[in-house]
Amino acid sequence: MSSAAATGRRLDPQAGEVIDRGSPLSFRWDGKAHTGFEGDTIVSALMASGVDVFSRSFKYKRPRGVLSATFHDPGCTVQVGDEPNVRAAHRRLAAGMDVSPENVWPSLKFDVRAANQLVGRFLSAGFYYKTFMKPQRLWPAYQKILGRFAAGGVTAADAEHGYYDKRYIHVDVCVAGGGPAGMAAAVAAARSGASVLLVDEEYHLGGHLRYGGEAELAALAELRAEVAAQKSIEVMTNAAVTGRYDMNWIAVVQRQPGISVRGRSIHERLCKVRAGALVVAAGLIERPYVFEGNDLPGVMLSTAVRRLVNLHAARPGDKAVVFTANADGDACAQDLRRIGVGVTVVDARTGGNIVSAKGGKRLKSVDLADGRSVDCDLLVTAVGWTAATPLLNMAGDRPVYDPTPARFFPTDRLPATVVVAGALAGDGSTAELIAHGTAVGATAAARAGHGSEVPVPALARVAHPELYRSTTHGFVDYSEDVSSKDMFAAKKEGYDSIELVKRYTTVTMGPSQGKLESVNAVAIMAEAHGVTDLNEIGTTVWRPPYVPITLGALGGRGFENTRFSPMQSWHEQHNAKPLVAGDWIRPEHYGDAAAEVAKVRDKVGIIDVTPLGKLDLRGPDVPKLLNLLYVNKWSKLAIGAVRYGVMCAEDGVVMDDGVTGRLAEDRYIMTTTSSGAATVWEWAESWLQTEHPDWQVHVTPVTTGYASMNVAGPKSRELIGRVVEGVDLSNDAFPYMHVRTATVAGVADCFMWRIGFTGELSYEIHVPAAYGLHVWEALFDAGSDLGVGAFGVEAQRIMRLEKGHFIVGQDTDGLTLGFGADLGWCIKLDKDDFAGKPELVLQSQRENYQRLVGLQPVDPTIVPAEASQIVEGAKKIVGRVTSSRMSPTLRRSICLGFVEPHLATPGTVVTCQLPDGRRVQLKVIEGLAHFDPAGARMKV
Amino acid sequence: MNPSTVARTPIARSPVAPTAPVEVVEGWEVSTRRSTAALQLADLTWLAKVAVKADANGAFSTRHPTAFGSARRPSADVLEIGSDPGGWLTIGPVGGAAELVERLTVEVADAGELVSVIDLTHGRVLLRLSGENSDAVLAKICAIDLADMVTPNLSAFRSSVAKLVTDVVRDDLVDGTRSYLLHCERSSGQHLFNCVVDAGAEFGIDIAGSG
Repeated sequence: MSSAAATGRRLDPQAGEVIDRGSPLSFRWDGKAHTGFEGDTIVSALMASGVDVFSRSFKYKRPRGVLSATFHDPGCTVQVGDEPNVRAAHRRLAAGMDVSPENVWPSLKFDVRAANQLVGRFLSAGFYYKTFMKPQRLWPAYQKILGRFAAGGVTAADAEHGYYDKRYIHVDVCVAGGGPAGMAAAVAAARSGASVLLVDEEYHLGGHLRYGGEAELAALAELRAEVAAQKSIEVMTNAAVTGRYDMNWIAVVQRQPGISVRGRSIHERLCKVRAGALVVAAGLIERPYVFEGNDLPGVMLSTAVRRLVNLHAARPGDKAVVFTANADGDACAQDLRRIGVGVTVVDARTGGNIVSAKGGKRLKSVDLADGRSVDCDLLVTAVGWTAATPLLNMAGDRPVYDPTPARFFPTDRLPATVVVAGALAGDGSTAELIAHGTAVGATAAARAGHGSEVPVPALARVAHPELYRSTTHGFVDYSEDVSSKDMFAAKKEGYDSIELVKRYTTVTMGPSQGKLESVNAVAIMAEAHGVTDLNEIGTTVWRPPYVPITLGALGGRGFENTRFSPMQSWHEQHNAKPLVAGDWIRPEHYGDAAAEVAKVRDKVGIIDVTPLGKLDLRGPDVPKLLNLLYVNKWSKLAIGAVRYGVMCAEDGVVMDDGVTGRLAEDRYIMTTTSSGAATVWEWAESWLQTEHPDWQVHVTPVTTGYASMNVAGPKSRELIGRVVEGVDLSNDAFPYMHVRTATVAGVADCFMWRIGFTGELSYEIHVPAAYGLHVWEALFDAGSDLGVGAFGVEAQRIMRLEKGHFIVGQDTDGLTLGFGADLGWCIKLDKDDFAGKPELVLQSQRENYQRLVGLQPVDPTIVPAEASQIVEGAKKIVGRVTSSRMSPTLRRSICLGFVEPHLATPGTVVTCQLPDGRRVQLKVIEGLAHFDPAGARMKV
Repeated sequence: MNPSTVARTPIARSPVAPTAPVEVVEGWEVSTRRSTAALQLADLTWLAKVAVKADANGAFSTRHPTAFGSARRPSADVLEIGSDPGGWLTIGPVGGAAELVERLTVEVADAGELVSVIDLTHGRVLLRLSGENSDAVLAKICAIDLADMVTPNLSAFRSSVAKLVTDVVRDDLVDGTRSYLLHCERSSGQHLFNCVVDAGAEFGIDIAGSG
């Protein structure tokens, strides 16, 4: 037998109920088994099972139950499995849910921290600004204890990362709020020819009609049919418009859209909406009443009771006091009587009032202003409404308080494309609200370019008592445990602005973000100031998001690009250790970088250099462009020749380097560093499009059009000769720094050049990318008897350091000018002009810049960490190590680094301070190369 | 040395791992999977892709009146796209790149303007997303308004798709089925493919072969 049946809190079928009694669901709450029905919320199922308390409050750990029975209910936040902070009064029940209370110690039933209530006078507003300051040494202990009070649930460290995605929506009209006015507006806009997005935070459209009487349900059925008939309306329920930005950029969070991707369900989705017009039909939020004991489980808003009874068939209590100031309170009393609950009505319109509620874990009695005390387990308050204006505020409006209906109303400051429908604009019958929504919808469509505007009928402002606080103090902000007494105290302490009070007391700063608390807070401040017009106090500012949204939804699906070369599958099969190099994944090594170095130095190795930037340059004015971009000269580059070049930015700082080869009369290929490919392309286009649009040059990036591989080592010529057709590979016919087009392993349209970063005889082959794997495998097959092996980026870095080749960005930084990087040999100041020339001219006229030098530790076993400082005396920094490795070839440590000019002379011994504080000696060598400085090995 | 493997016929491969069954067709390793799903994604990287750069108002532009931001079919098996101001991308049949390059080059040889014709078949990936919900899929990874009024059939734009610079061409199928060509640089092809598949999961996307 279910708990529900045992407690008898589940009612007979109700006219508007949304539960499916044919689909029972089992779940656990606080370790115990319960049963509910499909369509229940977690809270409605628990209430039907006889559970009243769902959480403990933030500061005083007071037991809390249902207040509003909505997403924003401050007492109904729970943990569901690994998911913290689930709004249990909103979240649909699911089979097998493991629901538990959050942050209770030791249990929900008995929380020792409730003792805080005994010392509440010391924990008043802002106590944390005044306490736990001294002695400072005890802060770690304070921190531990305070940590126990932190609100919120728990996320397991090994919890699976949720899957989130995004969606872009372009519509003519977005309607925020699916109550009668919102639905009518959507239908009218659609009938005008507009595309419409209708968003509502509940699971079903209808707003208050859903839990109304027979007439409301009939109107709802009609409206739903009309919405369904309009194909241009997209209905998005269980979603909320969280923000409105300029030009009707609207953020909508869609919760649990019921979609799975790769086995993971989407938890939330952020929809970025561009709407021609926004209809704000967000309606009204019922406001709590401030009095002593107003947070006891059993004290509920009238709308909460009607939701529980009429939507979920859950009996909220057995004996009720209904404190009502409006028709909704009256209707709630009728609903309660209908289900057999004994009701005592206290009518505020005839002077009735309540003073305090008494009880512990459940309400026991209510003291009335007339002196009576009424035993009851349910106190219903219906004291007025808060207009849900945040979207209006975000659109630039500052709503104004009208004391007659006792709520805020929008002004005429709204942009034309933001229009208000329904109860936000005034009061009316269902028919009047529908008529208002219809006219507003047509107007919105017209403002989005469909149909014509129609006159919008005015809605009345019905008089309502201004009821905010009784004669006693109670909670204003349930989420933050801020009472009216705290707010009076804040006023006394000098916090007389509502914005300051908000920050000092944290009122309205809890998870419900002021939806239940804002107007009460303003009214309490008005009372504290002794003013009657709430406009004198003003309001706090509503900012996005309207409802809490997960960081995952804001981030969406990760779109971090990962770029692979055509040979990636081969690398994976050969145990390459992946190296993340920007977007690229490259093989760092295949197990032993030192052995890879030895292979290249002794035999032949192949490295995948596909990420090298490659630009196809065409046109008669390419030499002009090259002369402009590079610091050296390019006018006489012969067809078939390749030249190294360095680019400097306009400030003379080294920007990129690479080689450019001339393939034909008007065709060149430029290579750049892997990371600089996009920058150099943009740099070239920038010059061509802004400064030299007359030059006949086309630049096309072809980086990934070619799979690139460097075959290096003494046996590379022999290996290449086995796969290349139509090219004389002899040193005379194809010398160092030259390029040839060729057919390689049967693949035509390849080009290869004799260059290399390793200091060995080497050929860099560029193959149409789709054939990259074929050629790569062919090279290994062809070289199996030559001892060919693959080498990775680490081996290449070692060999280039042995050879003294610098890497832009590694051995240079954002301040390294050309001459400082030992590039004087290629900077041609006698050229007419080139990028960076003025700064380089200035640099050439002075001597006080640091120089890049080759360095060798005096103790060859020590490898100074890169970025170790070179020092002079006790504190003076005179340089740094930019690259360092143990050279497998030389069997000693080697470095490149920058030093002050007076230390740059070969033979100078400098001092290097290691990260651990030790100091070691480094000797400046002649030139940058540690190995084969004459380049004999690569020119054979 | 293994001469047999060195001498074997070259096989071209797309950066997108083909879905089984896989065969070598016209020198390309491709998926020959058939799909009847209402929403399909196919890798068409093996199609010829030739880029042309020329004066936006010159002779080539006159002979190829495909405006920037639009596409047209000068013949049944060729799609010409106005991809940039002064830039065109021509998509042709498998193995047809050399012929396209030759034809386009010869066509304007006497025009007196600089025209660059470059075979980008190997440098780019080309995907086709087609089906009733293809716009809804794309709307999850691309911020552009895909309504008919804004991006009708044979419109083209360059935008961020899954945070990747991508050329998108609305190229509906012969039977009127909504369809988009997605075109980006090669090394990011698998990433783009995966993102489209993820975005299409809620609509039942299926992977079709390259045929």
